[in-house]
Amino acid sequence: MTGPVGVGIGWRPEIAGFVAGLPGLRFVEVIAESVPTAGPLPAGLTALRERGVAVVPHGVRLSLGGAEPVAPARVAHLAAVAELTNAALVSEHIAFVRAGGLEAGHLLPLPRSREAVAAVCANVTRAQAELPVPIALEPIAALFDWPDDELDEAAFLTEILDRTDAHLLLDIANVYANARNRGTDPLGLLDRLPLERVAYAHVAGGAERDGFYHDTHTSPISRPVLDLVGELCARHRPPALLLERDGNYPPAAALRAELDALAAVGGLPVVT
Amino acid sequence: MNPTSPTNVPTTRSTDPTVSTLAARQAALVAALVADAPPPPGFAPEPLAATRAALLRKRAGEVARYWPLLATSLGPWWLEVFQHWAAGRPPAGALREGWELARYLHGADELSPLGADELACWQAGYHYPEPGHPPRPRRLPSWGRVGGAVAIQFAGRVRLLRPARRQP
Repeated sequence: MTGPVGVGIGWRPEIAGFVAGLPGLRFVEVIAESVPTAGPLPAGLTALRERGVAVVPHGVRLSLGGAEPVAPARVAHLAAVAELTNAALVSEHIAFVRAGGLEAGHLLPLPRSREAVAAVCANVTRAQAELPVPIALEPIAALFDWPDDELDEAAFLTEILDRTDAHLLLDIANVYANARNRGTDPLGLLDRLPLERVAYAHVAGGAERDGFYHDTHTSPISRPVLDLVGELCARHRPPALLLERDGNYPPAAALRAELDALAAVGGLPVVT
Repeated sequence: MNPTSPTNVPTTRSTDPTVSTLAARQAALVAALVADAPPPPGFAPEPLAATRAALLRKRAGEVARYWPLLATSLGPWWLEVFQHWAAGRPPAGALREGWELARYLHGADELSPLGADELACWQAGYHYPEPGHPPRPRRLPSWGRVGGAVAIQFAGRVRLLRPARRQP
């Protein structure tokens, strides 16, 4: 797999102009569900593709962790976006977003049980059969755990990756958020994950609210999260780091500084 | 709290504490988070409440992207108004949620002039959105009217002919 390399950024329409102006950029991620497959790609994405910038379609609504089989139409859409963008990799989450006919509107955590491992692996296998490229799976941030976990997080994730042969999309902000909210050591998780399977890592800012740290993607990356990226890179440097920003967009100079900080901490080429 | 019942109520919502399949437990959890069902047994209540609140904030942000005038016109009260309306009401997509909220506020005589202008424009340009489907533009010439606001759509272009009356 020739996956993403270097420092990338989540492509969003609101910052398309900023992203287009990054001279050293080699990859972006795009929310797969936001890309229509009936017509041409959004103009900004086409221009990036013409420059040789790789695109990773990132699904958010497949609900691979749902107990029901993943919807074939959703997999087909992700596959179509992968074809449209000539992608080398797609990504989705180890999570569920709907159940019993209701949409949650957000990524929800699975119980860390053998039953859940079996459910998510079955869905990943179904998706892999239809996707033209490999998939990377992203563990999510959650404010709560299920009451009856059989596995700890590292064992749960490793089991899923082993059984599906999927890549890992490691979100360092999620690792930080979960550890902070659970009162555990994020380094303990990093030490036990198969870091050689990381295709790329997400990094984003969050905010403290009502006693919980929320992974909002609407604030600058905090120092502790950046330090945790450094800890990841010290253990096993991933081929690529991606900045996620989903609102409350700052001036271009501030976004450039965040991308530069990622390049510095990851020992990757500056893209700005 | 809800003037009308949600249109997409779950068909398999489980409140039986003895159910143990993953499907039933996931359904019970989602219902507790978005449809005012009781929390499933064994979950710590505070993190669930924080999750519920975070989901509502996220939805409010998504609705505001489709309905910037409605949201802006409510200023600092936007989040509170949205949360009050949306609590216990399962997500139905941001465009539709804003549409329903605007209608609800209009019915309660609390829709701002800017919100009325925006609703009239959406009505003129688009069909009432189905949950889970993208906005569907109207093909034939059409119009929208909310309070004093009148918008027309012709050949895909929407024009606000007359804005709603501003409060003196």
